[in-house]
Amino acid sequence: MILFTASGLLIFLSLSIPVGIVLFLLAFGIDALFSPFPLMRGLGQVIWSSSNSATLIAIPFFVMLGEILVRSGIAQRTYAALEAWVSWLPGGLIHANIATATLFSATSGSSVATAATVASVAMPQAERLNYDPRLFSGAIAAGGTLGIMIPPSINLIVYGFLTETSIPKLFLAGLVPGLLLALLFMVVTAILCIINPSLGGPGSSSNWRRKLTGLVDLLPLLVLFGSIVGAIYAGWATPTEAAAIGVAMAMLIAGGQRALSVSMIIESLKGTVRTTSMIMLVVIGAYVLNFVLTASGVSGALRDFLEHLGLGQLETLLVIILMYIVLGFFIETLSLMVATIPIVVPIIIQIGYDPLWFGILMIMLVEMALITPPVGLNLYVVQAARKSGKFSDVMIGVIPYAVAMLVMVALLVMFPSIALYLPNNF
Amino acid sequence: MNNALLLLQRLNNGLAVLAGGLLLVSVLVTIVDIVLRQTGNSLGGTDELSGYAMAIATSWGMSYTLTNLAHVRIDLVRARCNPPLRSLFDAIALLSLAGTAIVIAYRVWPVLEKSIENSSTANTTLETPLWIPQSMWMAGWLWFAVSAVLMTLVLIISAFQSDYEAINRTAGLGDDV
Repeated sequence: MILFTASGLLIFLSLSIPVGIVLFLLAFGIDALFSPFPLMRGLGQVIWSSSNSATLIAIPFFVMLGEILVRSGIAQRTYAALEAWVSWLPGGLIHANIATATLFSATSGSSVATAATVASVAMPQAERLNYDPRLFSGAIAAGGTLGIMIPPSINLIVYGFLTETSIPKLFLAGLVPGLLLALLFMVVTAILCIINPSLGGPGSSSNWRRKLTGLVDLLPLLVLFGSIVGAIYAGWATPTEAAAIGVAMAMLIAGGQRALSVSMIIESLKGTVRTTSMIMLVVIGAYVLNFVLTASGVSGALRDFLEHLGLGQLETLLVIILMYIVLGFFIETLSLMVATIPIVVPIIIQIGYDPLWFGILMIMLVEMALITPPVGLNLYVVQAARKSGKFSDVMIGVIPYAVAMLVMVALLVMFPSIALYLPNNF
Repeated sequence: MNNALLLLQRLNNGLAVLAGGLLLVSVLVTIVDIVLRQTGNSLGGTDELSGYAMAIATSWGMSYTLTNLAHVRIDLVRARCNPPLRSLFDAIALLSLAGTAIVIAYRVWPVLEKSIENSSTANTTLETPLWIPQSMWMAGWLWFAVSAVLMTLVLIISAFQSDYEAINRTAGLGDDV
């Protein structure tokens, strides 16, 4: 049964059948072959109860927020302001890429949107100032992945929904690892550029006046982040309500940039519906598969399987991590998460790990999936924003940052409190 | 045949704007509720209404995402094939999607039927008659199945003409990921 599920998953996926549909097909198959009673009669009810959700509506709200923000033109100003603050470091503008990605992550819930936005703003600078295109574009692709770690994060909402873990707690748990990873990216950049200065390029000469006036341009995003996160932890709003506040503030920001128009809103709405349904087909599919796996007793079969393997707690965890790294080469972020949660998370809880902590570890691993070829969405997004140059430039440029992510994974395993300190104490 | 596809796409564009509008309305209602709560009042039932909005916007968005070729697919093997073989992948993908969409449409109907038979109301203060949100939600899934079947027909006709370019337009992968 496990073999059927796992091999069916891989075969159907490689046939390029839509991921959400693959999950449905697996559920149909398990029901037909292994279940003692027909589970599919309940399909409609499962679909209704999984999509009729005041929690999940936070997903379209955060997507809408991002759609509006990306079209508002705020990215240019943010980049210019951050450049004044960080480009004196060895590596120059590369730090501005990472810093802008970090700040955008803190307001948008999506990594691809983050990478696309930063790439469109930053790429022209690299060509003008003669930066090494590899490290420069690698930093954008890697920095963009922070979007799903630093709250608010659509992926954390999905994880929380499918595993019944508190979403505000997941958001708190993601904050420190996300910032730490951003810092790690900057340290890696600085070290590489000290060893080989030709990788970087000139930073812009800046004075305190420019830095301070630049702060005004950072305010909109900082206020946006502050009000989303603040509203949640002050107890005024649920994550869903905070997302609604975020949408309203993004509208205000776009209005301030004089970018608000009827056609812009219509485009944003269409983008929101497209992304939401794309995500929801996968999420509903996972929910249905989850239901079938539990009802037909696969969870029990998995427990037996593990006991027969005779692996220790840490060994099992390492096998799972390795599986994510390997699958991450071929499968995309959300699909990877959602397709594996029904199988992996029960195991993790069974062997005694905290699902809150594992959520953050899993996000870190699927962040890597975003930048590992051949299927790494952020690599393509960054390459698409470049006017010229080989795809392999981005692939090579991202290697140091992928190593930094591995270091972060190891740190999370050795010191779980990096993720758990905030949610357990606040 | 191209015209049929274009018409379907245009129709689904319009539906997507409507679904997005519904989401925008729930943003507004949610914000009004938060503000009222600070003054000690509440609209009551916002959560419930958001849930319905989510279910309805999701089901109606499915067909738009489909005609935009935006449902996630793993392109690893397919990308390495020649156009005829690639069309075969696209056909398998669309056929399995259409089949699943039909099963879903068939299985969501009893949910509505039961609510109508029992005149079920939500177990909340609003006591919403469930057939209202559920009929709109079901119609979205039904339309998803209809769209998928229409696209399958276009695909079959293109296949008889060995028009791989048309198949790619109907069932390939969207340009922007």
